[in-house]
Amino acid sequence: MFAFIVRRIITTIPVMGFVALFVFSLLYIAPGDPAAVIAGDQASPADVEKIRLSLGLDRPYLVRFGEWFFRVLQGDLGTSIFTSLPVTQLIAQRIEPTVSLMLLTLILAVSIAVPLGVLAAWKAGTWIDRVVVAFAVFGFSVPVFVVGYLLAYTFALQLDWVPVQGYTPLSQGVWPWFKNLILPAITLGFVYIALIARITRASMLDVLQQDYIRTARSKGVAQNSILFVHALKNAAVPIITIIGIGVALLIGGAVVTESVFAIPGLGRLTLDAILRRDYPVIQGVVLIFSFVYVLVNLIIDLIYTLVDPRIRY
Amino acid sequence: MNAQAPAPVPADLAVAPALPDVLKPRKPLTGFTGFLRKNPSIAIGGALLGVMFFIAVFAPLLWTVDPTSISPARRTRVPSELYWFGTDMLGRDIYSRVIYGARVSLLVGFSVAILASIAGLTIGLFSGFVRVADGIIMRVIDGMMSIPPILLAIALMALTRGSVQNVIIAITIAEIPRVARLVRGVVLSLREQPYVDAAVAAGTRTPMIIFRHILPNTMAPMSVQATYICASAMIVEAILSFIGAGIPPATPSWGNIMAEGRALWQVRPHIILFPAIFLSLTVLAVNLLGDGLRDALDPRMAKNL
Repeated sequence: MFAFIVRRIITTIPVMGFVALFVFSLLYIAPGDPAAVIAGDQASPADVEKIRLSLGLDRPYLVRFGEWFFRVLQGDLGTSIFTSLPVTQLIAQRIEPTVSLMLLTLILAVSIAVPLGVLAAWKAGTWIDRVVVAFAVFGFSVPVFVVGYLLAYTFALQLDWVPVQGYTPLSQGVWPWFKNLILPAITLGFVYIALIARITRASMLDVLQQDYIRTARSKGVAQNSILFVHALKNAAVPIITIIGIGVALLIGGAVVTESVFAIPGLGRLTLDAILRRDYPVIQGVVLIFSFVYVLVNLIIDLIYTLVDPRIRY
Repeated sequence: MNAQAPAPVPADLAVAPALPDVLKPRKPLTGFTGFLRKNPSIAIGGALLGVMFFIAVFAPLLWTVDPTSISPARRTRVPSELYWFGTDMLGRDIYSRVIYGARVSLLVGFSVAILASIAGLTIGLFSGFVRVADGIIMRVIDGMMSIPPILLAIALMALTRGSVQNVIIAITIAEIPRVARLVRGVVLSLREQPYVDAAVAAGTRTPMIIFRHILPNTMAPMSVQATYICASAMIVEAILSFIGAGIPPATPSWGNIMAEGRALWQVRPHIILFPAIFLSLTVLAVNLLGDGLRDALDPRMAKNL
């Protein structure tokens, strides 16, 4: 078991290396001249040249990557062009709202989506099932900011139940924090709920047809116990996988959700950086988010072995 | 049993009336209409998408005005008989912008689906057939897939000028790994099929095996994947334009119409509402088409998902 965990952790190191290589290479993949784009339309040729030097575009690709990667390993993500502050410092200032939002969304989404999927599979073919399936298709088709504005308009503007926008740090109390974050969390979780509910339903349908479920029924096990103990545990692997994969949706959606609800998090930082063409900041945020994503999926892989003892790599 | 003619029915004997057909024999669903009835989501999705295509192609004829004409005198009007969907902050007619916006959304969605499919197919076939390259290519793909697609597209757009073409390139790059992965998986499983062994034993050349025996079998899963990529590309385009990293406002796109409504959403929610409805319906249409295709092409999957 221990050997497996160590081995699994070691295999993520090359993946992270390739992530870094790829994020770095974006400067070279992007169509057009990045230095000219970052400098902006009013820049003089000298300014463009200065940006080109600061991005290191004048030096060989691999040399530049080596230097950059070495600094990343030391925790240095470069300096913001606009504010001249270290990117790591900018990210550290903005990380709390984003982490809060994503964690709340994760908890909310899983605790809504899994029971929803189980219910749909249990009542397969009935109107309940149809509603859940329709919701799943619908959830994939409505962009996250549309959900955000609809919710904000209804529950914040019209009904005035929660604040329209903004963020209250957790240190100022759990309730204000929650009240500010609940709409963004539902917004961000919308697609995620659709995704998890859909996979849960499919996986549960598969398991509910198996012999041991019939056996459990015939020996008189209570319905709830069959669904949530016998079946769900065996249906768990695909569900946990999709929870991990879906984190990519959360990360992408967070950027948009934060802009709709004016939450001063990493998404807002990215947005400001785009408008100011502050590429080092964007690069840093992309790198951090990607590492988080790799780590989440590493954790997911380790959870497999707890849920399903048959899985050994 | 004798060949005798049936005895004539006596006039005073009552004859039981013919039983009504309780269960009428069902005609098998065949032909085009049959296909659509068996796959309602293809029918609905296809019809909806057809309407959007119609709108995109015939935009100038659908009672629109110049979608870029600015008129400060009629700023931020609410929907009325004159301005069906109202006007935006610069006095542009939102109805016209939304109708013209269909062009950008469909162009981006379908271009990305086609380009990403071609690139992903090439990489996937290569990776599945050239064992030496497979390890390296798959590590790079793993790395790419570890970057959330929207962030990847945002990063690329931050490095380039906003234009329809660059948005298509950025989203395509973000979507390629998914196709490549899928194709490689299909290729690896097809390679083990007896009929491929037979072809090899019969002395068929490798290019022939790839194009005649492998490629056609990747088409079904790939076309399903392509529809999902099309749907996701439309959403990503809208998100990019919405946050100001996509298509500049000179070309109306549903994303940038909504971006302009962002500042005013509390007082003029309709600026966001109308493009949002069109975008959601189009994406829904493509998703329904994808679900229908998946069910039609892979009945084993269809059962549960």
